Amino acid sequence: MKVEAEQYGDRTVYSVSAFNRGVAAWLTRLPTVWVEGEVTELRRQERWQSVFFTLKDPGDGACLPVSMPRGQFDALRLDLVDGERAHVYGRPELFEARGDFRLRALSIERFGLGDHLAALERLKQKLAAEGLFAPARKGRLPRFPRRVGLVTGNDAAAKRDVLTAITTRFPPARVVVAETYVQGPRAAPALATALQDLCAQQDVDVIVLARGGGSFEDLLPFSDERLVRAVAACSVPVVSAVGHEQDTPLTDLAADARASTPSVAARLVVPDADELRERLTQTRRRLQGAPLLLLERKRARLDGAYGRLRALSPRATLERGYAIVRTDDQIVRASQGLQPGSRVEVELGEGGFGATVEETR
Amino acid sequence: MTYEEAQRELEQIVQQLESGQADLDSAIKLWERGEELHRICLEKLDSAQGKIETLRPTEPA
Repeated sequence: MKVEAEQYGDRTVYSVSAFNRGVAAWLTRLPTVWVEGEVTELRRQERWQSVFFTLKDPGDGACLPVSMPRGQFDALRLDLVDGERAHVYGRPELFEARGDFRLRALSIERFGLGDHLAALERLKQKLAAEGLFAPARKGRLPRFPRRVGLVTGNDAAAKRDVLTAITTRFPPARVVVAETYVQGPRAAPALATALQDLCAQQDVDVIVLARGGGSFEDLLPFSDERLVRAVAACSVPVVSAVGHEQDTPLTDLAADARASTPSVAARLVVPDADELRERLTQTRRRLQGAPLLLLERKRARLDGAYGRLRALSPRATLERGYAIVRTDDQIVRASQGLQPGSRVEVELGEGGFGATVEETR
Repeated sequence: MTYEEAQRELEQIVQQLESGQADLDSAIKLWERGEELHRICLEKLDSAQGKIETLRPTEPA
């Protein structure tokens, strides 16, 4: 492209417009490329032809203005927000009227976090639809596990925290630890294998999956389909103790219980030894009191029975002044059977006597 | 016998004794069994020291 210039003696001078036009024309010869950066200062308005944002290099903060026709941008349905990483496909261009250099975007793809988030959400929906997270699937945690399985990284912190929490709460606890990768591309299959190994161990009644806090990417293995499926399929109840309170890796949803801290995990998997001791002491006290209680009750019952027996005894009646008359060992209830001269025995409250009937009436 | 089983049986025995339904002979047997269970529980709590083992990892397939 030819650019007009004026000659001042031996000096060739361009107008601003001509200069910009010239540079702009030269820039069009550069290839179309992908550029990666963080989206910042996203500006979009209905009355503008284009959408503008700045791509920022997360390394050193270098900035590149980007523009894209609004229709194309909207058609991508990206819902980009500030701070997200993106790959922008475009070519360099100079906005001639202002001499602004920028990247004219032809396409934009979400990258990194966004991509992972979207994939994660799809996986979550899929597994939820299969019923992997259903409450009905969740098993009850044992109150007294014979052995506790612990899947953890060989980095000290998470392992030590969980072990300390468990043994503090319940000193006789028996724990089997399976150390494995908890980060990086090998983590998910390694974690799933460790989980299965523990599950196959004798007497392991509950398994804790532990991982300290980390970035979103660090915790991604705990949302890996292979591991999430392994957790759901595990025949032993699993407690997911991954990251912090705000993190919700998919293992949290597939596990039988979730623990936001090591001490919560310990509370879920082992009983409190102090509480057990207290309960045992109280039970013992009752046990020791029981025989005396029993004897007292038996004694009270005996006394009661004896009292009733006495009340029913004819002796009490005799003591009130009545007498019993017998003849031939039969109690005399009517005078009909008696003749003058019949021999009778009379029993009194105290003692008795024999007598002969003189007359009957 | 697990701690849980011992604890459950012990508490059942205490309840049975407290209900006063057992006759004296069986009450004495129950009480003796209760004492034994208490001893079992205590031993499990006190003498059994915790154990932490490490499982050798198998290479993922």
